[in-house]
Amino acid sequence: MDTILNIDGVSKRFGGLLALADVSFEVKKGHILGLIGPNGAGKTTMFNCIAGIYTPTEGTITFDKGGAPVSVGGSRPEQMTQMGVARTFQNIRLFGSLPVLDNVRIGRHCRAAQGFWGAVLRTKAQKAEEKLLVEQSLEYLDFVGLKHKALDLSSSLSYGDQRRLEIARALASQPKLLLLDEPAAGMNPQETGSLVDLIHAILEKDVTVVLIEHDMKLVMSICEHLVVLDHGVKIAEGGPREIRENPEVIEAYLGRGAAHA
Amino acid sequence: MTGQSTALKLLGLCALLAFPLMPFSSEYVLHVAVLIMVYAVLAMGLNVLPGFCDLLDLGYVGFYGIGAYTAGILSLNYDMSFWVVVPLAAALGALCGVLRGAPTLRLSGDYFAIVTFGFTELVVLFLTNEIWLTRGPLGMPGIPPIDINLSWLGIDWRYDFMSETPYYYLGLLMVAFVYVVMCRIEDSRLGRAWLSIKEDPLAAASCGINLMAYKSVAFAFSAAVGALAGCFMARWSMFLAPDVFKFWESFLVLCMIVLGGLGNINGAIVGSVVLIALGEVLRVVLPHFGLPTETRFLAYGLLMILIMRFKPGGIFPAIAATSKKSRLIMDLKARLQAERAG
Repeated sequence: MDTILNIDGVSKRFGGLLALADVSFEVKKGHILGLIGPNGAGKTTMFNCIAGIYTPTEGTITFDKGGAPVSVGGSRPEQMTQMGVARTFQNIRLFGSLPVLDNVRIGRHCRAAQGFWGAVLRTKAQKAEEKLLVEQSLEYLDFVGLKHKALDLSSSLSYGDQRRLEIARALASQPKLLLLDEPAAGMNPQETGSLVDLIHAILEKDVTVVLIEHDMKLVMSICEHLVVLDHGVKIAEGGPREIRENPEVIEAYLGRGAAHA
Repeated sequence: MTGQSTALKLLGLCALLAFPLMPFSSEYVLHVAVLIMVYAVLAMGLNVLPGFCDLLDLGYVGFYGIGAYTAGILSLNYDMSFWVVVPLAAALGALCGVLRGAPTLRLSGDYFAIVTFGFTELVVLFLTNEIWLTRGPLGMPGIPPIDINLSWLGIDWRYDFMSETPYYYLGLLMVAFVYVVMCRIEDSRLGRAWLSIKEDPLAAASCGINLMAYKSVAFAFSAAVGALAGCFMARWSMFLAPDVFKFWESFLVLCMIVLGGLGNINGAIVGSVVLIALGEVLRVVLPHFGLPTETRFLAYGLLMILIMRFKPGGIFPAIAATSKKSRLIMDLKARLQAERAG
């Protein structure tokens, strides 16, 4: 089985705070990995290191963009997106005053080419690309079930739809690896149910998914492999059943003594 | 687009074209109209930074000055034609824009504003002190008016812009040109990238947008438009002095786009019409009340306070307004409606 992302001994220090301490794990191509842990465990920091927003203080991150794996620690966010790593945000970060369609068109930015002169002169190539961008964006919107709202203002969408739009925007960059940061946060059970279907559909498109989530039912039902962080340290790794029975994990979530209760 | 609004637009265009032929359009009225056009171009150019990229630029008039003095020096010393000077001034403006942008690429908000404020002071100091080049505080009189000379084609025909009317038409052409370019950019991959930087830089970077590169393009483009306006102004007013490019002018242009609606191209034009016209009206009216004409600055302040209080988004608060009316989107709208109905 191929490894698409390899995290090797990554540490991230903010002044005196060690947010990640020597964390290592691998993400297998075509699979879904769950990254769990209590609040403040360092999950989002790990995402930010992978997505290029933070540079790891120590350790290496290797990403297989097709062909030979490359070391990507310290690359800029736009370079990571170009290479095929897309992400959503824990606190939704849509372009709120732009329409739904424009959010996805911007997500498609790195797979298009026209610049200043194309825009000013309206060349044939530019017009064709603009048309193609709209069609492709509609496909992604259709995929997450938002096509009929393409021209609505993105800030007017419901919470669940905004989460879906963020996923559509991330998918528009044609990622090989998709990082989902708490996609089910604030969703009702019905919305969570359709999110599970959506994630399965994404996996079928040959996109590898890393998921941060607090909804344990969701995590346990769709993740084949889990990594548990606590206070920046990896405390466990394995399948859902193993993790559920791991005393250290129970302790991290419920406190000392709970594991023996 | 409905037929009615197209008809209305055509009527407006005809009115603008026929304006100098009307009996009430004296040289003074035309002079004010041309002034409005110069400021409309400045407002549209400035709009690129605070309106599209959320970078508060307090020193925009520096590029106006660079363009004007480039035109003045090249025209006076080298006897260059206006049509040759325009691209040179715009190119120099763009270069200065990038040079000013380079150290500020990582700055945002107030810090960026402070650097731009320093820049405009720097330009005024340069123009005042480099007497060998700019004649300093004495100013630069005797810049020739714009002319159309076809001698290089072998045709012995020459037209000098001696009254306000030709400047009016050329100014109209300039505003139309900048307006079309702005609209086209707003509704393009470049424009959307700028707007995404305005909305959320982190999310924009995560979408694969290189913030530094796109900000640099914005700096260059905005500055080039400012220099274009300066170039026109130099050959129109035929006199330049460093005082014209003081900080106050930057602030006036900024007021125009805030009044019209940050990020809205139509708003920039409306803002410049309102503020310049208001200034001229007050200049005439205020002395009747025994007030010095300088009190009109108070009126500007009052207007800004009112707009902040009652309409903080400006007269036209919508951003990306052009793209909503583009043919691609109109087609899509019709298609989605048909799908919903069917």
